[in-house]
Amino acid sequence: MKKLAAGLIPLLFLAGSVACKKSEPPPPPPPTTTTTLPVPVGVLAVNLGKEIGADKRVTAPAESFGMKDTIYASVETTGAGHAKLRAHWSFVKGDKTAKVDETTIEFESSAPAVNEFHISKPSGWPKGDYRVEIFLDDVVAPVMTKSFKVS
Amino acid sequence: MTAEDKKDEGMPDFSDVQSGASSTAPVAKVYETYEVKRGDSLSKIAKHFYGNANDWKRIFEANTDILKDPNKIFPGQKLKIPAKQ
Repeated sequence: MKKLAAGLIPLLFLAGSVACKKSEPPPPPPPTTTTTLPVPVGVLAVNLGKEIGADKRVTAPAESFGMKDTIYASVETTGAGHAKLRAHWSFVKGDKTAKVDETTIEFESSAPAVNEFHISKPSGWPKGDYRVEIFLDDVVAPVMTKSFKVS
Repeated sequence: MTAEDKKDEGMPDFSDVQSGASSTAPVAKVYETYEVKRGDSLSKIAKHFYGNANDWKRIFEANTDILKDPNKIFPGQKLKIPAKQ
């Protein structure tokens, strides 16, 4: 009996030490590096009007203009980086179109920006339907199109 | 005759349209696009846009990617016309 007890004691110690052994804390996760890539420039809105303010926004949005008006298209962009914005102005008569003007602006943006394009015609605009298409960089399709009238 | 000319048949004349652009962001360049027509020269185009035929060099310098000789421009070429200074 003594022999048996003597044999059990080391076993009990061993079992106890295993049971009481604290588990190692998990290794800390590797540090995560958050690299924020710059969001490329995108077009947020296009508004037409007869005047713009110092902030390049139209003071009163309009879709109808007089024959002697200067027509402004204010283009709001988001994102950052180099961008090329192109405004293609057209006169539309049925299924025919005539190019009125095409102007491109290239800029370096670090934050949202407002860009303006404007056209005027000293001899007066022919009455009818017009549209302006805004293109971004070298993408073939316009990112936004606005129609307006001269009456 | 270019495809654009065909579309313009019987349409009003917009050759006296004046245009411009600006931005709240630092601007690198502002330019109009002009499609060369038969009989055009850089001097003639400069006279039309700037009122001075001697400004042809500005147009040439803005288009050295497509023009190698200022005396050789062809109908259908699309030229960048830098904004008036």
